[in-house]
Amino acid sequence: MNAVEQALSPKAALRLISGNHACALAAVAAGCRFFAGYPITPSSEVAERLSQLLPEVDGVFVQMEDEIASIAAVIGASMGGVKALTATSGPGFSLKQENIGYAAGAEIPCVIVNVMRGGPSTGMPTRPAQGDIMQSRWGSHGDYPIIVLAPASVREIYTETLRAFDLAETCRTPVVLLYDQVIAQLTETVDLADAKDLRNAERKWASGPRETYQPYATGEDGIPAMSRPGAGYRVHTTGLNHAENGFPTQNPEAVARNLGRLLTKLDRHREAIDSWQAIGCADAEVVIVAIGISARAATRALDLARARGVRLGLFRPVTLWPFPETALREATKNARAVLVPEMNAGQLSLEVERILGGKRVDAIHRYNGEPITPAEIAERAEALAKEAR
Amino acid sequence: MSRPTASTSSAKDGQLRPTAAAAKAREPMNVLIVGVGGQGVIMVSKALASLAQSKGYQVKQSEVHGMAKRGGTVFSHVRFGPQVWSPTIPKGEADILVALEWAEGLRWLPFLKPDTGIFICDTKRIVPPFACLNRRPGAPLRYSRETPAEVRAQVAEAYAIDATRMAEELGNERAANVVLIGALSTALDFPAGDWEKSLAQFVPKKTIAVNLDAFRLGRSWIEEARTNPVVTEAPAAKAAALAHVPYSVRLEITPEWCKSCDICVKLCPERCLRLNAERIVELAQPEKCTGCRLCELLCPDFAIRVHLDSAVVAIAAAAQETKA
Amino acid sequence: MIVDSAAEFDVREYLRMEMMPHFLCPGCGHGIALRALLWAIHELGIDKDQLAVVSGIGCAGRLSAYIDANTFHVTHGRPLAYATGLALARPDLHVVVITGDGDCLAIGGNHLIHACRRNLKLTCLMLNNEVYGMTGGQVSPTTSESRLTTTTPLGNAEPNFDACALAAAAGASFVGREVTHHVPKLKELIRSGLAHPGFAFIEVLCDCTEIFGRKNELGSSAEMVLRQKSDLRPSAYRDSVDTPFRSNDLPTGILAKTDRPEYGAAYRKAAAAQRASKAAKASTGANKGKA
Repeated sequence: MNAVEQALSPKAALRLISGNHACALAAVAAGCRFFAGYPITPSSEVAERLSQLLPEVDGVFVQMEDEIASIAAVIGASMGGVKALTATSGPGFSLKQENIGYAAGAEIPCVIVNVMRGGPSTGMPTRPAQGDIMQSRWGSHGDYPIIVLAPASVREIYTETLRAFDLAETCRTPVVLLYDQVIAQLTETVDLADAKDLRNAERKWASGPRETYQPYATGEDGIPAMSRPGAGYRVHTTGLNHAENGFPTQNPEAVARNLGRLLTKLDRHREAIDSWQAIGCADAEVVIVAIGISARAATRALDLARARGVRLGLFRPVTLWPFPETALREATKNARAVLVPEMNAGQLSLEVERILGGKRVDAIHRYNGEPITPAEIAERAEALAKEAR
Repeated sequence: MSRPTASTSSAKDGQLRPTAAAAKAREPMNVLIVGVGGQGVIMVSKALASLAQSKGYQVKQSEVHGMAKRGGTVFSHVRFGPQVWSPTIPKGEADILVALEWAEGLRWLPFLKPDTGIFICDTKRIVPPFACLNRRPGAPLRYSRETPAEVRAQVAEAYAIDATRMAEELGNERAANVVLIGALSTALDFPAGDWEKSLAQFVPKKTIAVNLDAFRLGRSWIEEARTNPVVTEAPAAKAAALAHVPYSVRLEITPEWCKSCDICVKLCPERCLRLNAERIVELAQPEKCTGCRLCELLCPDFAIRVHLDSAVVAIAAAAQETKA
Repeated sequence: MIVDSAAEFDVREYLRMEMMPHFLCPGCGHGIALRALLWAIHELGIDKDQLAVVSGIGCAGRLSAYIDANTFHVTHGRPLAYATGLALARPDLHVVVITGDGDCLAIGGNHLIHACRRNLKLTCLMLNNEVYGMTGGQVSPTTSESRLTTTTPLGNAEPNFDACALAAAAGASFVGREVTHHVPKLKELIRSGLAHPGFAFIEVLCDCTEIFGRKNELGSSAEMVLRQKSDLRPSAYRDSVDTPFRSNDLPTGILAKTDRPEYGAAYRKAAAAQRASKAAKASTGANKGKA
């Protein structure tokens, strides 16, 4: 019985485990066999745990010389056909951006954990923040699709890590697991009994004759089949804009065609990608939209407010990007106002305002390293509800 | 092949064998040892000089090797006798010429005494770069074409020994020079045991056994050759057969790939390429092309491919073209 | 001179013919270096399907697109890092990195020294043309002193890197340098590097004729190639001759070769040992349970 089997055995299903360790365990369970990383607080436990786990399952752990090398090695391993992960935090995430863009453009599956800490720059390494919401979507230059998952509990880190690999492989895209320092280093009791039933998706591999294989063919679902080195296809992979044959091109039609497919490829898979939680939204006067630790505080705020006769709802995007717009509109259609508590100077609120154009959107912005408390959220939401009545 | 008319009756220990006339006993013995750098010419002359010295003769050993390096010509004059004045052997005065390489041996033949000189030569061929001036494949080498039989006809006494192969068979090709010492020893009156002692001083300790075997092999070979002449195959003819594989050179040029950089034109050793009116490379003088491939190797655009077709294929191809 | 192996090596068998002719300038040394690489690959009989070429950004980086193999044209400076991931994850592949002087020594310098130190089985071919050619001719870490580039209009005042000395100092277990003029020697060097069971760093001195050569009035492509011959100091010469070799005085040939454990194999061996010892412990535990 290897570490993963042991971890997932019924006896061990109920575990006291930290967020970062749950991530490492789930990665191995998802079939990840390569990790490259660079030490950075507060994500280092993911690397440390995987340096123990990966050798047990014939995988490879390597600590690279810097953050850029880490993402590069991860993409390199994935180009070799191996599921790969890296983990970092704000400054490292910034450094990785160019190569995340490469993975998105060349459509190389990989998973990047970004444990959010205070910023800008070195910021507050040991304090939580939610300041990378926009960077996780728009951090690299140019237009590209990306999936960002924002778990809010240790169990959800586990399940979303599994989902992150599945989505990365099936959609051939980088997937960012975005969670804050509080949840990363939070140790809580987790029931993983049913987690092993989650699927373990395989990449769509090229098949058929080499002569007719197109590495970036449009195909039925917009996701081209990838060729595994050694399988005889001998294709070219490049960060330059390329045509269906994988070779660089500046032909406007070819670029538009391939980039057009790339930019819309996730649209056809929204059913699998989108994930959110809506609590008490149907009759809510005010719907709170939040992620991570702020969403956890909001859950408590719901109870506090309802006890005082104010009906609050919570909309929590688990898949942060692409943002579950339709679900948000649905969840807030009866609400008079929306409140966005977030640990930054205003990022998620911008997206919510954009989607709900016209609806009153208020926000609590906090960037001093202190989480927003349930009482603060309840108080502000109650005031908002009364104003809007 | 005739033996020198040596009188053995008066020979006492240490006296030289080629002493046809008593007056000649006062004359020094002249041994010229030649070869190519790296073969061990100097070692042969040292072994001989040291042995002669130990027998109480005056010895002069004179050699040129400083400029030769490995592969260049090397020669050593060894003169010994009751009284030796000049350190070098004049033309036509060498009693014995020992050559470790075939062409080097022929080069020095005029130094042998016309009537009595003994020529002991390895048939080993080391073709110097200057013998390959014509780079055309299949072109004959400018290396001696004389056969051992032709050489024998011009020399009083000649032995063409495949010493390198004999040494190889003993397990060390480098002992070829000692096979020749063995042969040389039969032409001088020093006892075999003394030769062996002298040799042991000059060869590396680990190779003493193989060198003594080589010495004995050389000695017995020449004894055998005297009574039953060995017909050595002509080395020049053999090599010529190897060099004369007929080729015809064909250049395959991909004009769309050529970027007119001119590297091939300027670096071609035969200057047989040029850029045409469209500034694309072409073979202007096919008869001069040797197929050296420098153009192919240095073309940054992979626009040239050199084909060295065997003549038969080339003729057939030409016939095909004519038909078409 | 008839080079036998050259007779049966047809470079076109290793090229993506649909991509030819390549986009390099007339006389560019990179084309010659590419031939030497493919020739060495041919001689070693490396299967094209098992060959992975990872290249960075710049003129050298574009070469991978012309090779009929599994080719990866990655981000600027990072090919060694990508290749590290690829080679660790897929030890069955033969991974070759093609990079330039700017890609490898400037933006990617950190990856180079750590790749040297780590000693993972990779062959790194650094094509040094002393300039950023793709971006129009800016000064690079290997530009010789006083050379003119678009960013050193007064002549380069910065000292340049000796890439091989750098790689050797960082612990590379195979270091070599050759010029494009000596194609068979270059092929031999690359072949030794490819066969080396560890990290091999090979610097190829290439001519940038159209940009660097023109700016510095170094003559035609042919003259530049010929100058390599007269300028260079074969390593065998050591200090015995000091003129007329070029001022930056770069020796050629295999310059460093050491026998160090290959990282990938060492890692896998340690991992297998750990698994075996855990399995042994587990079975002992199980037996105790039964008793």
